[in-house]
Amino acid sequence: MGLLNFTRDPVPEAVSGDMHNLNQLSAQQFSALTEVLFRFLTEPKEVERFLTQLSDFATMNKISLGPLKNIVKSILLVPNGALKRNLSSEQVRADFIALGLSEEKASYFAEQWKVNSPTLTRLAVGQTLTINQLIDMEWKFGVTAGSSELEKVGSIFLQLKLVIKKGSQLENVYVELTLPQFYSFLHEMERVKTSLESFS
Amino acid sequence: MAALRDGDFAALQILLKAPSKDAVRQLCQECFSSPPAALGPLAQRACPGLSISAQEAEQLVSALHNLTRHVVYRGLTRAEDILCLFPENFHQNLKNLLTKIILENISAWRNEAQASQISLPRLVDMDWRVDIKTSSDSIARMAVPTCLLQLKIQEDAALCGNNPVVSALTVELSKETLDTMLEGLGRIRDQLSAVANK
Repeated sequence: MGLLNFTRDPVPEAVSGDMHNLNQLSAQQFSALTEVLFRFLTEPKEVERFLTQLSDFATMNKISLGPLKNIVKSILLVPNGALKRNLSSEQVRADFIALGLSEEKASYFAEQWKVNSPTLTRLAVGQTLTINQLIDMEWKFGVTAGSSELEKVGSIFLQLKLVIKKGSQLENVYVELTLPQFYSFLHEMERVKTSLESFS
Repeated sequence: MAALRDGDFAALQILLKAPSKDAVRQLCQECFSSPPAALGPLAQRACPGLSISAQEAEQLVSALHNLTRHVVYRGLTRAEDILCLFPENFHQNLKNLLTKIILENISAWRNEAQASQISLPRLVDMDWRVDIKTSSDSIARMAVPTCLLQLKIQEDAALCGNNPVVSALTVELSKETLDTMLEGLGRIRDQLSAVANK
């Protein structure tokens, strides 16, 4: 096997056998299986649904579930590696052919890859490490009417509640700002937005 | 908040023993700024300067604290309103001096009271930087701008006394989060203008 695009590591032996089995599927069956796979890749949390759909596919096409799962594991190696390495659809197609998949099926898969890759890339970027990610911001503002030291006050206060993701937990941070601070904060955030936009 | 008591004005007349007007001025300021718990030590420090007994010093300091805090609480700004507080037989010159000193300090004291109000932790400073994420374990090449925002937050001043605890919180915002946040902040600004224009 020549140099593959999606990985530098040696591919498990079972893969060529799995590709051979895949070639036995009709175009329609392959298309249905591909659809199930991409639905899972774009919604990786829906594991239950994925397994159900696989098992339905197995029943409908009279294939045993065990071998089907192995085939699926082999197929998924390629899109996972391709995502990490930002591969083009031609490279994905070339890799499948190198692994032993028929040209027709490899082209079809590569097409589906092209269609889905923006979504998949966005998902991967979303999984990138973030530090204390800001999840939500709630606010209220009001007027301080009086206090124990001042009978009549009449000053405006602004309170923010920031919901921050620390590791796997959510933490709430409460902050109070004066009016000048608020305007300054707003001004700075607008500058940040301009900066972020210039890099997008 | 301290309320004016009957014995207070009698105690205030002890100020007639003060060496100078500046001494009175100084004492007024210290008595206003001191929290009730610190009045004892303040009285002890005032004793020698006024050549009075410890008990007299305590009464005086407490009376001055009550008077100054009362004026600030009620928001009195006119000389007439302050002069009214004193009883009829109070020493005329001392009354005028105290009123004058209070009027000099009233806005500074008011600001001081507002600054030490109870509140949620306050924002004291904020810094930001924009990073571009170029690579990660989930994706080898990318160019995703992200913002790191550092907020310096000070715990309630009243709880910390003279050593306010300032904590720094660094938060990461994606472009989408920032856009949503700006939308919220914009709405706050619009509502603030609406309130201001009423």
